[in-house]
Amino acid sequence: MFGYHLKTALKSLRRNPILTALLIGGIALGICVSTAFVTLRHMYTQDPLPGKSDKVFYVRLDSRGKDSPFGGGISSLSSNMAIPDQITFRDAQNLLHSPVPVRQSATYITRVFVYPDPKVARPFQPDIRLCSADFFDMFKMPFQYGGPWTKANDAKPDQVVVIDDATNRKLFGGDNSVGKEIRIGTRQFKIAGVLAPWRPALRLFDLTRNPAGAPEPLYIPFNLHNTIPYQSFGNNSGWKRQPDVTTYEQLIATSERTFIQYWVELPDPKAVGAYGDWLTGYINDQKKIGRFERPVYYRLTTIPDLIQEWNLTPTGVRAMSVVSLLFLAVCSVNLVGILLGKFLARIPEVSVRRALGASRADIFWQHVIECELIGVIGGILGIALSAGILALLARFMQNGEALRLDGEMLITATFLSLVAGAVAGVYPAWRAASVAPAMQLKLQ
Amino acid sequence: MLEMKNIKKIYRTEAIETHALEDLSLSVGAGEFVSVTGPSGSGKTTFLNIAGLLDTFDSGSYTLDGRDVSRLSDKEMSQIRNRTIGFVFQSFNLIPDLSVFDNVDVPLRYRGLGASDRKQRIEKALDMVGLSARLRHLPSQLSGGQQQRVAIARVLAGDPKLILADEPTGNLDSVMTREIMDLLERINESGTTIVMDTHSPECAERAHRQLHVFDGRVVDVERPRVTLAHDRNSTSLTASLS
Repeated sequence: MFGYHLKTALKSLRRNPILTALLIGGIALGICVSTAFVTLRHMYTQDPLPGKSDKVFYVRLDSRGKDSPFGGGISSLSSNMAIPDQITFRDAQNLLHSPVPVRQSATYITRVFVYPDPKVARPFQPDIRLCSADFFDMFKMPFQYGGPWTKANDAKPDQVVVIDDATNRKLFGGDNSVGKEIRIGTRQFKIAGVLAPWRPALRLFDLTRNPAGAPEPLYIPFNLHNTIPYQSFGNNSGWKRQPDVTTYEQLIATSERTFIQYWVELPDPKAVGAYGDWLTGYINDQKKIGRFERPVYYRLTTIPDLIQEWNLTPTGVRAMSVVSLLFLAVCSVNLVGILLGKFLARIPEVSVRRALGASRADIFWQHVIECELIGVIGGILGIALSAGILALLARFMQNGEALRLDGEMLITATFLSLVAGAVAGVYPAWRAASVAPAMQLKLQ
Repeated sequence: MLEMKNIKKIYRTEAIETHALEDLSLSVGAGEFVSVTGPSGSGKTTFLNIAGLLDTFDSGSYTLDGRDVSRLSDKEMSQIRNRTIGFVFQSFNLIPDLSVFDNVDVPLRYRGLGASDRKQRIEKALDMVGLSARLRHLPSQLSGGQQQRVAIARVLAGDPKLILADEPTGNLDSVMTREIMDLLERINESGTTIVMDTHSPECAERAHRQLHVFDGRVVDVERPRVTLAHDRNSTSLTASLS
């Protein structure tokens, strides 16, 4: 029967092309606007690390002085819960010794000149991220050649580097450059791996500055910091005056200045509990040497919770996605009147079909299928239009590359189309099906 | 085939009540050809609508093909309309944008028959009414008589036990009227019960039995005045007054 209803619906749509275009256009407009803004919201709210979002934690420690509580920074936590956004270099080095996490990494960015072969490119000064070998697997970063460096490279530390796809194309024409060397600052670094093109909507591993920015193009071992004092180019925060500190080496060795992000991967709640105990023990040990003057306080936060706590989903995007869904609802409701007129004009035919054996349910579904057909055709048109709008929006957004209609959004848009068709058509279909069969037979 | 007892039907509006049928009682046997006559507004169409389960009644009882149809669900009534009853209307009631083939197909679709079975029934029915060559024509491309023959083919394809014809010749000229009446008589001879509502005395007299409805009641039941003899070897009918 579905096939017959579909055939009848198609015939009905062909009967009045202008009216059909109006109906489809209404749904297409609603779907176009709603899909574009729901996709924009989806970009910010989708699971940033599918399968691992609840296992990767950002570590924060309250290492401030007794009378120097943290001011709150970008966090939405209440002032009595405020905690520094990052940790000190000393703490990062100590935390790296914890045996509890299955993966862990301290990380921050620096900026050093890279000197390529003069025949290939001129020197340039990219952001370079210092991190541990675990970092790449922890954040599921995709490689096209080679892979992360090893823990042995971390331990020495070796001068190894992971570069992104754009840098590889710039310096090596996109070829497999694993094993080749590039000069960073005054030293030669061997390439361990080349990342595949990868552009998350938010730079997951460093949400403390411009979270919509692209991941850094180069990555080198964090432990190199011990021999080469790479200066931080990220956010820094301090509370303690240390006039006796005069060199950068002294600064990072003894300073209470926070500029390191610290990440751990804990596979289950038991490990989370164990790591919490380990951190408590660490803080108490530090208290014994005069640090951590405030009550024991640390936070382990997942990326989704951090996004929420730091309000990283623009409120405008959330509001616009709600408004766009309301717009779709208005488009659908507006079509109710048109469909009602269209269906009621067809009452004589409905009466004939009822006389010939169509049940009320047959008539209802015949009309609902016609509405859903309008919804689906309008939906396809709307999705195509929204893809165009998203492409336009992406040109004006820093993280526009991450703005795209993925499978989930296509399913959402199709679902919205069906809902829009149903919203517009169920009442008119019910009215058409409710007509007494004898009503119009004599009048035709 | 059809038995109504004390059927009452009242149409109500905020202002008035119209008593369309008042204790209407009648019985039609299987294989009969019955005409129903009466002045406009007498309740003929209301009677046919109730007989065809197109309308409900307020009181009384109605048995169709041995089944009490007073308390049926919409789905059950639709099935009876689809399988047991065939309708022929004054204004043909073909669906304008469906071809002749597709119009005849409509009731068969609701019966859920397979494609080959439907095709066979449609072609046979259109052959019986002499429109095999017009399968792909639209109703607007046919004359009134041809449209009514398509409507009759739509009935024949469903092979119903009962045909309810509401002024089937009301929109036709005398030649077409004769054609349609001949066709209905042939269908009746094959065993199908026909109840025909008509204003035309000539058409009414071709039925086996005439019922007269006045003010919602069957006021007169006339015995057959015309005896029909059909020569199976020809298309002619011989009528004699009794």
